[in-house]
Amino acid sequence: MQELSDKLKAPLTDLLLSIADDKLMLGHGASDWTGLAPILEEDIAFSAISQEEIAHAAALYEVVGTMHGRSADAVAFGREPSAYRCAELTSLGDDFDWSRAIVRQLFCDHFDLLRFERLARSLLKSVAALSKRIGAEEATHVEHADVWLIRLGRGGDESKTRAQAALNALSGAAAMLFEPTDGVDVLEREGIYPAGEGSLFDRWQEDVGRVVAEAGLTLEVVPSPADAVGGRRGRHGESFTGLLDEMCEVYRVEPEAAW
Amino acid sequence: MSAGVTSSEELRIDWKIQEDPDRMAAFQAHIDAKGLVEADDWMPHNYRVGMLRMAEHHANSEIVGALPEGEWITRAPSLRRKLALVAKVQDEVGHGQMLYRTSQDLGKSRDQMLRDLVTGKTRYHNVFNYPAPTWADVAMIQWLVDGAAILNQKSLAEGSYGPYVRTMKRINMEEAFHFKSGEDMVLTLMSGTKRQRQMAQEAFDRWWGPCLMFFGPPDRESTKTGPFMTWRIKTATNDTLREAYVDRFAPAARALGLNIHLARKNPDGLIAVKADGTPDKIEDPLIRLDESTGHWGFTQPDWDEFYRVIGGDGPCNKQRVALRRFSYEQGRWVRQAVMGCAGLPPSRN
Repeated sequence: MQELSDKLKAPLTDLLLSIADDKLMLGHGASDWTGLAPILEEDIAFSAISQEEIAHAAALYEVVGTMHGRSADAVAFGREPSAYRCAELTSLGDDFDWSRAIVRQLFCDHFDLLRFERLARSLLKSVAALSKRIGAEEATHVEHADVWLIRLGRGGDESKTRAQAALNALSGAAAMLFEPTDGVDVLEREGIYPAGEGSLFDRWQEDVGRVVAEAGLTLEVVPSPADAVGGRRGRHGESFTGLLDEMCEVYRVEPEAAW
Repeated sequence: MSAGVTSSEELRIDWKIQEDPDRMAAFQAHIDAKGLVEADDWMPHNYRVGMLRMAEHHANSEIVGALPEGEWITRAPSLRRKLALVAKVQDEVGHGQMLYRTSQDLGKSRDQMLRDLVTGKTRYHNVFNYPAPTWADVAMIQWLVDGAAILNQKSLAEGSYGPYVRTMKRINMEEAFHFKSGEDMVLTLMSGTKRQRQMAQEAFDRWWGPCLMFFGPPDRESTKTGPFMTWRIKTATNDTLREAYVDRFAPAARALGLNIHLARKNPDGLIAVKADGTPDKIEDPLIRLDESTGHWGFTQPDWDEFYRVIGGDGPCNKQRVALRRFSYEQGRWVRQAVMGCAGLPPSRN
């Protein structure tokens, strides 16, 4: 990795962790469906997506770990809850309701695709190269989520009702995906996380809105107030700490041991 | 559907059926010449039903077998292990999918098979009725249980039904990866801290007995072996496979520093504890290589336990079926949305 000034190191760490933590939690939630999804063929597909989410997170933890002299596993599993930068949406349980799993994925996949489009133009060449590779896989996740939402929206009354309920239930948490990480403005100015045309929120709303409309559903996401503090700055709810405890149960038995 | 049989009445083994003698003779000659039977070939009713039963039972076992390890996906202790475990469980679901397809072609719909599984009409492999209470159990399942499955499936890949044989070959390639991953996990634990080694030994103690039972009851008690061996639906007897398994795993376990115990179990599948708080187990006195035969000796597992568990009264029978039922019911509205009915994708035919 190119030499980074101390001024950029902390904001870049926060930004990369925000993406990696989102993906770890999302992949973790999706992986829980392995063996239990509604259709065997989809079980295999959704499991593949969960593996890609976790693998993307692992690649980003590797970058962060190298910056700080820690292993990717230590970064992934060895932090205090307040040091995680994921948005609440990624760790919200789905209660094995397929519509919630799909909507959570839809919101996050579209958001990730936009983030990786920006990072692929980063002046940090290693981050740009990695983001291009991840972005290509992310595009397939977006396609998967889009197709499912449309299927559910057009799949009869019960399915439509459930899909709409999931959109409504998760729209509040969706707004907090856009909470900025500390120092992100510096990264934008320095070309490490170049801003694109229009705001991230507007582009996301346009992309997701198109799919929602095609599914015959509706979505209203109200932007969070600029001073709202959430997961991107380490403020997490109980659902997150519970999930983290479960995830780290074995790791914490002997954190120094190889498993 | 070509030669399919659909009602459950017709899907029963019935040795009183008089098949056409000329066709039977030609069929047997084809099988004796190591020929393969394909889905649209003529086959005796009892061959079809026997093959369907076996493939369906195998498919059920794959998707129920995904459950004990699946419980540990959310708790895997490193990124690498987490990824490997999700991929492994995904493979098992994939095996289930392939085997349900094979079974569908033999004449039973997938939805009927899944419904029979969740209502307890059909069974799955007995070994999955045991608990996996620690991470070390995941390692032992991948090493010991998948090792047993490979041995069994290699013999099944020598069978006579073409679609099943080809599926076995594909599955075995993937199982070989699982086995290596399991071996690596056991080796890591046995090279680790005292606590990790103890976890591994305790898990080994839980799984050794069920793995000996894996190959089914002793040949003298097995009713299915005879006719199905003639048709090469089965190609090796239970006892032959069990002996080959012990020959492979007894020395391997000892080389890794694991001891082979005879252990008394509680109804919950965990090892019973003596009054002084130590596990109620002794080393199996028969575990040694018999130079004269080249085979390892071993104490037979508790066959009363086997029949009790297979009869539904095992540590996790209810839990496993309940979770599959939950998944079936949770997914019903999704299948309706996608396919317009509660059913599942139809067979290719």
